[in-house]
Amino acid sequence: MASEILRIHNMLVEGKISCTQLVQEKLDLLAKNTHNTVNFLLSDKAIDLAKKVDEKIKNGEKIGLLEGIPFGVKDVFLVQGSPASASSDFLKKYTSPYTATAIQKLLDAGAIPLVKENCDSFGHGSTNENTVFGPAKNALNDALVAGGSSGASAVNVAKNYTVFSIGGDTGGSIRQPAGYNKVFGLKPTYGRVSRYGIMAYASSTDCVGPIASSLEDIEIVLNTISGKDYHDQTTYASTPVDTTKALDKSQITVGYYTEFVENKGLDAQFKQKFLTLLDKIKAQGIQVKALNFKNADTLVSTYYALAMAETASNLARLDGSMYGERVEAESLKDSYSITRSENFTEETKRRIVGGNQVLSQGHSDEIYLKASALRRQIMEHFAQDFEQVSVILSPVTPTLPPAIGNSLKDPLAMYLSDIYTIGFSLGELPTLTSPIGTETGVQITAAKKQEETILSFAKFLNEIQ
Amino acid sequence: MTLDVLSSIKGATSSKAVEELFQTIKGAHLDTSSAEISNNHVVTLDDLREDKVIESSELERSIIKGNFPKEKNGYLVVAKVIEN
Repeated sequence: MASEILRIHNMLVEGKISCTQLVQEKLDLLAKNTHNTVNFLLSDKAIDLAKKVDEKIKNGEKIGLLEGIPFGVKDVFLVQGSPASASSDFLKKYTSPYTATAIQKLLDAGAIPLVKENCDSFGHGSTNENTVFGPAKNALNDALVAGGSSGASAVNVAKNYTVFSIGGDTGGSIRQPAGYNKVFGLKPTYGRVSRYGIMAYASSTDCVGPIASSLEDIEIVLNTISGKDYHDQTTYASTPVDTTKALDKSQITVGYYTEFVENKGLDAQFKQKFLTLLDKIKAQGIQVKALNFKNADTLVSTYYALAMAETASNLARLDGSMYGERVEAESLKDSYSITRSENFTEETKRRIVGGNQVLSQGHSDEIYLKASALRRQIMEHFAQDFEQVSVILSPVTPTLPPAIGNSLKDPLAMYLSDIYTIGFSLGELPTLTSPIGTETGVQITAAKKQEETILSFAKFLNEIQ
Repeated sequence: MTLDVLSSIKGATSSKAVEELFQTIKGAHLDTSSAEISNNHVVTLDDLREDKVIESSELERSIIKGNFPKEKNGYLVVAKVIEN
């Protein structure tokens, strides 16, 4: 699919549509949509910005590629003066005091935020059912989940309610819903995009990235939001991705993990389609190498032990003292605990309690420290593998999206469904979901800072489909 | 300390699903021969942020005050005085 950003840009420049008309049409679609993708519409601000773009065009001024392009924002990002609820009762009435760096960069480029999008509360979920706004429904079959946690963001792109959306990915929250809704979703290298202004889930794997309907749009948005940020000391300066050069097939070796393909949970048709994709790549004269992932059976546990520990620490600040809901009680401690008990969802409470369990005396050595050591082992494993191959391909999910209502009853099954995405999060690696190969797409992963390799290879895969 | 106290959540107890994840960690094989990975996110001394106060805008301050759960004369009213 060609760039939707470029198509709309040309329409605006050629006067085929006004920016105000474009933004109003998208707002109307979002307002009446039945997929539960909207937490809050940013209508007034969006229309004001659109009028300014129309004024520039009317005065014969040049507009930038992103100027006037409507986009969606997962409701864990701050946009000054707008609500930021994290899909929770706790912050349902909270107003963002400042704007997240990634969103500010898009605003500076002239893009127009339309909507704060439904998501799993504080990013805690893989289905977008853990939300106080009602479950987001899959774009292709509304009886199925949208995926999570950036589920509504993927649905809005798939339904063309937004041109692109900005999601957050801690353990697969961009890539999995992108796969479930057949769009592109990129988790950049950890530190490429600032985390300033996104509500922290697990700070050591939280990443900000784009969801879009084309690779070209992923590239445009990625280049806009990347860069070192004063407010996030884990960011680094990056050079823009440029995929205009054709891929040199002789320089590419593709790897895949046999443990991932032989996983008993992987749907038989998914496995067949994934292997067929590998055959197509081999037929192009590209070397395909089988790799072993010796930590495959501990991936899910390692990720969740660390993520729960981090979220327990990050969400300790939510006690009703400074902001958010507060329940007054007889004592200060009672006020904290009643406020937290009544305003966090069951899944969020499960993760906070699990995290405190991991960090508590007597458990930290045998769980938290061991999980940290396992993570270092996994990172070293990836580093060795990327000395042998340029990209690693893997499924995104083991199965089709589940029906709405099934997953929260069985949290362990939900955690296990993240098997293919969380390893690359622990490795801090850049990974793209491309909607080809299996029914929920394929993940393309490269070594740190190699987003250009990923996007070039994804273009090549599109061409050989 | 009990989990409900640690988490400030009434009646908090560990869940079966989470316990199963932790059991896997306890039983996992750790390759002690593997080298330590250096932490790429450590900030070097010559890359530290300038040590200066950055004033927040009036708009930012007013939104922060607007988010107070309880406010009196522009000040945050705390829930209770800490008793112990």
